[in-house]
Amino acid sequence: MTTNIMLAGVGGQGLVIMTDIICEAAMKDGYDVKSNDVIGLSQRGGMVWGNVKIGKKVYSPNIKPKDGDILLGMEPLETYRWNTILKDSATIIMNSKRFDPIPVQQEKKDYPIKEIKRLKDKYNTTEINAFDEGVKLGKKQVANVILIGILARHLEKLDLTPINIDTWKEAISENVPKKAIDMNMKAFDLGYNYKN
Amino acid sequence: MKKRMLTGNQAISRGFYEAGGLIASSYPGSPAVGIIENTKTYKEVYSEFSTNEKVALEVAIGGSFNGARSMVAMKHVGLNISLDPLMTFTETPTNGGFLLVSGDDPGLSSSQNEQDNRNLGKFANIGILDPSDSGEAKDFTKKGLEISEKYSTPMMLRITSRLCHSRSVVNIKDRVEKNQSGMDLNSENYCMIPANSRDKQYAMKERIKELGKFAYDTDLNKLEIKKGTDTLVITSGLMYNNLKELDLDISIWKLGLVYPISKKKAKEVTNKYKKVIVLEEMTPFIENELKLMGIECMGKEYFSFTKELDIKDIEEGFYKAGLIKNKHIEDVEKVDTVKRYPVFCTGCPHRPTFDIIKKSKAKLIIGDIGCYSLAALPPFEKSNSIISMGASIGITKGLRKAMDSNDNDDPVVAVIGDGTFFHSGIPSFINLLHQKKDNENITILILDNRTTAMTGGQHNASSGNYNKNDDMKVEIKTLLESIGFKRVSEIDQYNYDETKKLFKQELNHQGLSVLILKGPCALKYKMNKPHFYVDPKICISCRTCVKTGCPPLKMIKYEGIDKLKSSIDSDICVGCSVCAQVCPVNAIKQSKKDKEDDSIDN
Ligand SMILES: Cc1ncc(C[n+]2csc(CCOP(=O)(O)OP(=O)(O)O)c2C)c(N)n1
Ligand code: SF4
Ligand code: SF4
Ligand code: SF4
Repeated sequence: MTTNIMLAGVGGQGLVIMTDIICEAAMKDGYDVKSNDVIGLSQRGGMVWGNVKIGKKVYSPNIKPKDGDILLGMEPLETYRWNTILKDSATIIMNSKRFDPIPVQQEKKDYPIKEIKRLKDKYNTTEINAFDEGVKLGKKQVANVILIGILARHLEKLDLTPINIDTWKEAISENVPKKAIDMNMKAFDLGYNYKN
Repeated sequence: MKKRMLTGNQAISRGFYEAGGLIASSYPGSPAVGIIENTKTYKEVYSEFSTNEKVALEVAIGGSFNGARSMVAMKHVGLNISLDPLMTFTETPTNGGFLLVSGDDPGLSSSQNEQDNRNLGKFANIGILDPSDSGEAKDFTKKGLEISEKYSTPMMLRITSRLCHSRSVVNIKDRVEKNQSGMDLNSENYCMIPANSRDKQYAMKERIKELGKFAYDTDLNKLEIKKGTDTLVITSGLMYNNLKELDLDISIWKLGLVYPISKKKAKEVTNKYKKVIVLEEMTPFIENELKLMGIECMGKEYFSFTKELDIKDIEEGFYKAGLIKNKHIEDVEKVDTVKRYPVFCTGCPHRPTFDIIKKSKAKLIIGDIGCYSLAALPPFEKSNSIISMGASIGITKGLRKAMDSNDNDDPVVAVIGDGTFFHSGIPSFINLLHQKKDNENITILILDNRTTAMTGGQHNASSGNYNKNDDMKVEIKTLLESIGFKRVSEIDQYNYDETKKLFKQELNHQGLSVLILKGPCALKYKMNKPHFYVDPKICISCRTCVKTGCPPLKMIKYEGIDKLKSSIDSDICVGCSVCAQVCPVNAIKQSKKDKEDDSIDN
């Protein structure tokens, strides 16, 4: 069995480092892993996505339509945009902090609030304003690690490809600045213990 | 054995390092930019981002001449400008292993065109390797250097965006040093004047023939036989892994060396099958090679000639070919919702520039390649052409000459970044001075944001003026004046009104003028000043600020106020002040509070 994790967000949110941490943790626990990263440009603000596949043997890094197990949505609209890649009754972990795209900002289109709300009816959804929680912990940048904490918990619950807590913490520590390790550990714990 | 998760780009760097590689050069460009960023972390390897791809290729040639294992990495289009040295270098017998890494971009995720550089590899008479994941990317890098030395040929490692940026598990080995033999002083071999290079045509032909023999039983190619099937699929690269996801009843011939293909082997392998299908992205390269050998096969009838081929596209193709009865991958429609185009970053220096252009009388804006290409998209939509790096200046000249001969004296504005200026802009600037007439109205904006931003903020020839760690200190203004430009001014475009005034003045000037806009890239230089906020009581809802498209701005409902008023998300505003400067009633003000320390950057 493989676990197919899709990540979606907005340029500048740190999606690449997220996939990196997830990959490292999975590899350390002995899984075969493949991932995709954003293959776009460096500006902030465009849509970005990536994915990680974890299992015994993984061929393509790509996830087939309707084959995703977990969608880590770093922004609501982007979560909605990618939801159809998920299996029915899959899991969504969503950061509720909104980043309005240009057509919404310019009042030409509405932000799809209703559609996003309806995701809850279809999927097992955990929602958190990780951005605000991160600011409360001391840094908005730890928002992503909070989401990783939630992911860690879900991987255990799904029981497909669980990863040890210590392994997660090791992978995170290796990928964040030294002086920020403590704060990131707190962020991970917050996510891991988060209840909707 | 040590294992690591590496991207394709990181794996290539690692392979070069392990192979004792010494000279690594490049010019930044997606998807291959990560390769040299990584070799820079190995102190045994001399690495550089050169002025452009042609120079980079030449630097690697020099290394190889001396017997050093050398690698040059570039984005696919970079090969167009470095094709000139390559086409002649390939005539010479390669000394130190020479690897040309070409980052192709099927699907154009970050490029102005989609060209399949396998065709250029064949054109240059060199062998081509096509890895399928990071592990192979590392191994093929090493193999490529060995083959290069053994057969005295440059080799191409062809990779695609998806491979460059996907990660997989890689086995890590130690570095093995290679000795340098020194330059071969036999000038017949290296001075490619006609008398010497005539013979080389035969030598190259012979070399490819020898490589073809090597291809006969190389373990770079793998045959996976499935009993009882009459179908063979020939494929390479990432397509192999996408194909494997489908678990079909077929045999697979996976090519690691896609050029040359051994005719003898190809006949032997394909003879046993009724149907031969070639699965490859972009052009029918392998398919055509096989057809030239007289092997019957199908390919592009079933698979698109453009875009990436994902697992679903492959299933679809096999279905069309009648090889599978049922499709298992569901047809799910992409969610049709609000688009999210890339935009200039919060606080980007290009924002005031294009806001000013948009509000001016300038109608014709000849754009170039860089972050400022985004001005073609909403909300600015202020670029009338974007072709290739550095092209804006030459195009502007031709356009001006043509318009003048047609009695059209509308001003023409050209826009070019500092990175692009140094990459390939300078010759066209010099060319502007040739047969120049005094009253030709051309206004050139050089967007000097102190970096090559779009590809991730690499240095360029002027970065040394601003960064301790960079060494080149070319001053664009001084350079242009010494070439002979008379009217060159510099301004910081974050001074909105002054810039607007100066631009207007230069636009009205009947002649050639250059304006250098000095605002630094907000991303690279981490702009982080106290944020701005809107006083809704003063705001008259004119939306001038929102139209600049800076992400923190938006019209919202305030309690007790009927009309929507502007607002700023203080968490993301970096305090560039542009919105405040365009506001007609001074409703936007700067907060006093210092920002949180952003030196911890996750
Ligand atoms: C021949 C070629 N090489 C590389 C690239 C990749 N590339 C796209 S934009 C860019 C540089 C842009 O730098 P600059 O002109 O300074 O603009 P900025 O992005 O900083 O605004 C590069 C190298 C390309 N498009 N074409
Ligand atoms: S990377 Fe720099 S130049 Fe490019 S959009 Fe962002 S701030 Fe502007
Ligand atoms: S000051 Fe205004 S324009 Fe500048 S970053 Fe903040 S919101 Fe954007
Ligand atoms: S420019 Fe000033 S007045 Fe106009 S909407 Fe913005 S804040 Fe309000």
